[in-house]
Amino acid sequence: MEAVTDPQAAYRAYGPALVRKAERVLRSREDAVDVVHALFVDLLPRWSSDVDLPYLYRAVTNRCLNLVRDRGTRARLLEREQRAAAPVARVRLDDQVVGLALISALADRLDAAHLEVLVARFVDDMTQDEIAEHLGVSRKTVGRRLEHIRAAVIALREVA
Amino acid sequence: MSACTGEPISWLRLERYALGDADAAVTSHLATCAACRGCLDELRGDLVALPTLAVPARRARALRWWQIAVPALAAAALAVALVRPRPHAAGGPTRLAGVKGVGDVVLGLVRDRGGAIRDDVATFAPGDRWKVVVTCATADGAWIDVAVLEAGAVLPDRPLAPAHVACGNAVPVPGAFELTGGKPNRICVRVGAEAASVAPAPSDPDVACVTVTPEAH
Repeated sequence: MEAVTDPQAAYRAYGPALVRKAERVLRSREDAVDVVHALFVDLLPRWSSDVDLPYLYRAVTNRCLNLVRDRGTRARLLEREQRAAAPVARVRLDDQVVGLALISALADRLDAAHLEVLVARFVDDMTQDEIAEHLGVSRKTVGRRLEHIRAAVIALREVA
Repeated sequence: MSACTGEPISWLRLERYALGDADAAVTSHLATCAACRGCLDELRGDLVALPTLAVPARRARALRWWQIAVPALAAAALAVALVRPRPHAAGGPTRLAGVKGVGDVVLGLVRDRGGAIRDDVATFAPGDRWKVVVTCATADGAWIDVAVLEAGAVLPDRPLAPAHVACGNAVPVPGAFELTGGKPNRICVRVGAEAASVAPAPSDPDVACVTVTPEAH
């Protein structure tokens, strides 16, 4: 893959991939486009040649999670998700598809580090090794966080 | 969609592969896995329409002191004479005078109701999308932070991530938000030369607020 050296070129090259990634979390293309556009607008004045697709992927995850944490936006996204087609799910959490509703419910129970692992594993379909490299943590840490996520999901089921 | 034959190839690896990243492991997995091949086809066939990414104006060459001081003094005198912070009249732009590091700023609130765009209204209904627009002139742009406080609520929501915008005429702040519930909402916007960590409050300097009320059904 060719290196992208300026923000406009990165926006053109990586923008579509980032929009698809944001859409998989938010279940709304319109909001996904807003997230990616806002990210690049913020990066423009402080663009660095170190910015690559994995870095942008992570930034998009965090921005999507910020939207999901906001109660008003979350309500709108959840309402919209009900009208959208079911998400593609190649990786499931104990046979459960990790969609926006579950991410939203877990957003109130898990911290940012765990939510990032949740999205990387069950939305981005990364392996534990990939997640460890992507987030700059050990595989053991990723495993621990996944166990914690499983426990949170079980606790959610018990409450429901 | 059929199930993956093994550990699925992550979307990030598929995207990089689609962009031309040579990855032998991906190639061999795709040869045997219809599920991941389907995902690759899906992203290759997907067209994404992205809005234009506006580049902020470049900073002008260094000026001599009098080239800065004379116009600045003239502008300051005019600002003292004409521009005063004032309570916001609902449904119109709000001016913030002399924001530190940014200068004079005009803020507007735009409502999108099923494609009908209005910038002169202060009522909301379910499904409306709201955007903040900014008019400013500094070459460095401005940080915009939006908070929404529903009547009776203790803590504000921050529906948009704090965003840096390039200055211009009615520049939209990235993102849009929706108002829900049956109570009035106070939308507060902070403008600054730097991002702030806390949500804007009505009493803070360089914050403009407007109250929008739900429409009776």
